[in-house]
Amino acid sequence: MRTRTAVVAGLIGLAVFTLAWELFVRLLDVEPFILLPPSRIIGELLERPGFYLQATLVTARHALAGLAIAVVVAVLLGSVLASSRFLEHAVQPVLMLVLVAPWVAYFTSIVVWLGRGDPPVVFLVALVTMPAFVFATVAGLRSADPAARELFASVDARRWEVLWRLRLPSALPALLATARYGSALALAAAYYGEGGNLTNEGLGAVGRRAANGQNGPVLWASVLATVLLGVVFLTLISLAERVLLRWHVSQRRSLLVGEPEPPVP
Amino acid sequence: MAAVELSGVSRRFGRTEALARTDLRVEPGEIVTVLGPSGSGKTTLLRIVGGLVAPSSGDVVVDGMAPARARATKRIGFVPQRPALLPWRTVEDNARLLLQVNRGAGPPGASAGSRDLLQQVGLGDFLGAYPHELSGGMQQRVSLARALALGAPLLLMDEPFAALDEITRTDMRHLLTELCEPLGTTILFVTHSIAEAVFLSDRVAVLSSRPGTVVGIERVDLARPRSPDLEDDPAFFAIERRLRGLLHEGMAR
Repeated sequence: MRTRTAVVAGLIGLAVFTLAWELFVRLLDVEPFILLPPSRIIGELLERPGFYLQATLVTARHALAGLAIAVVVAVLLGSVLASSRFLEHAVQPVLMLVLVAPWVAYFTSIVVWLGRGDPPVVFLVALVTMPAFVFATVAGLRSADPAARELFASVDARRWEVLWRLRLPSALPALLATARYGSALALAAAYYGEGGNLTNEGLGAVGRRAANGQNGPVLWASVLATVLLGVVFLTLISLAERVLLRWHVSQRRSLLVGEPEPPVP
Repeated sequence: MAAVELSGVSRRFGRTEALARTDLRVEPGEIVTVLGPSGSGKTTLLRIVGGLVAPSSGDVVVDGMAPARARATKRIGFVPQRPALLPWRTVEDNARLLLQVNRGAGPPGASAGSRDLLQQVGLGDFLGAYPHELSGGMQQRVSLARALALGAPLLLMDEPFAALDEITRTDMRHLLTELCEPLGTTILFVTHSIAEAVFLSDRVAVLSSRPGTVVGIERVDLARPRSPDLEDDPAFFAIERRLRGLLHEGMAR
């Protein structure tokens, strides 16, 4: 399918969904505190674009800083774990605990430790997104072609050379695939962190204040702004995949009859 | 001093004996092929020479030193069974790879630049292409250029043409002699193709079935430079026939 057709199809899908939502709320007279029609939410966003944009930038900063820290720590930790099955097995349960523990449970501890403001939110985002990146790094580093590893060994390549020139590029597809899921998780963590009283800034804080004041339009506008930010993140990751993974099978055009074609830049 | 000397080399993997006591000597500039049935330890032998696998017993000397030392000083150009090109690198960058790795050791000999080598293997128009855009034969040519770019005095080639179709395979052995005969590079080549062994080699060492050991060495007294029409020569067939006999003998042991 051509890119343009794909974009048009996506827009049609969104339009149909929004229209159905609008009709559902209006025709069934749904109470405003249960669900608002999309027109009200969009109207609220457009009424104070500067206010929402500023809060969105704060949430974006929290999510991106947390993600960046998570990726750096994960790649470093993953590189160490990939070199030893014992270490990997030793650390795996801890990472699983981090992954499944309810974040709300340690909000208070984080605030006591880091105070309020950016640091606790960024820490929360980094903490919850990091395990998936570690798993992706370990699996990706191990996926390097054994024949290529032998080739590197034949000229006595240093460990860091094998890591930098062979293993990390081999891990890139897994890391970028994880970034899709990780960016959504990062936004959720940033929103919950901001809303969970870790800071007074960001979309989560806007949402928390609106919920306390039972202001439906503002609450939903903060959710919609988070969704739009998520769309921006996913678009950026897709672009990064097209540039960085030009060589990868996922980014190539299929020539097989009847096979779905990958996205074409 | 021999380019490669194996004395009483053997290798076990757990309870499996892959290679029984084997002696083999390769003179500098000589092209020696190790011919043997599947599972006869050919690849193991090559890996031992390359310092990638340690022998269970025996001594290995490459260029007057231990294989590990030869490897560390980049004296060994390795052409693996699969081309093992890095899919994110272009053809030209793949051909340069071994020069960029372990730079401290430096290439021991001067070589034609990787770009020139790619021209010589017929890939001058594909310098910026990615491996997935090439056919199997073209990928193997890049692998060959990559090994030659190193300028190493010893090339180890592990059935590099095994996965290619017959026509491409024949072209590749002609190309290999064309490139290597003038350089005087020592080559230890592993294959299970008799025609390939005869065409390329000065001598052919035939291995028995597992555990492999040398059952016979056949000298290939055919003039160099070798040209493709040599493969229709009665002398060529005669050597092929003798090698087939040795192979059967080795498989019956």
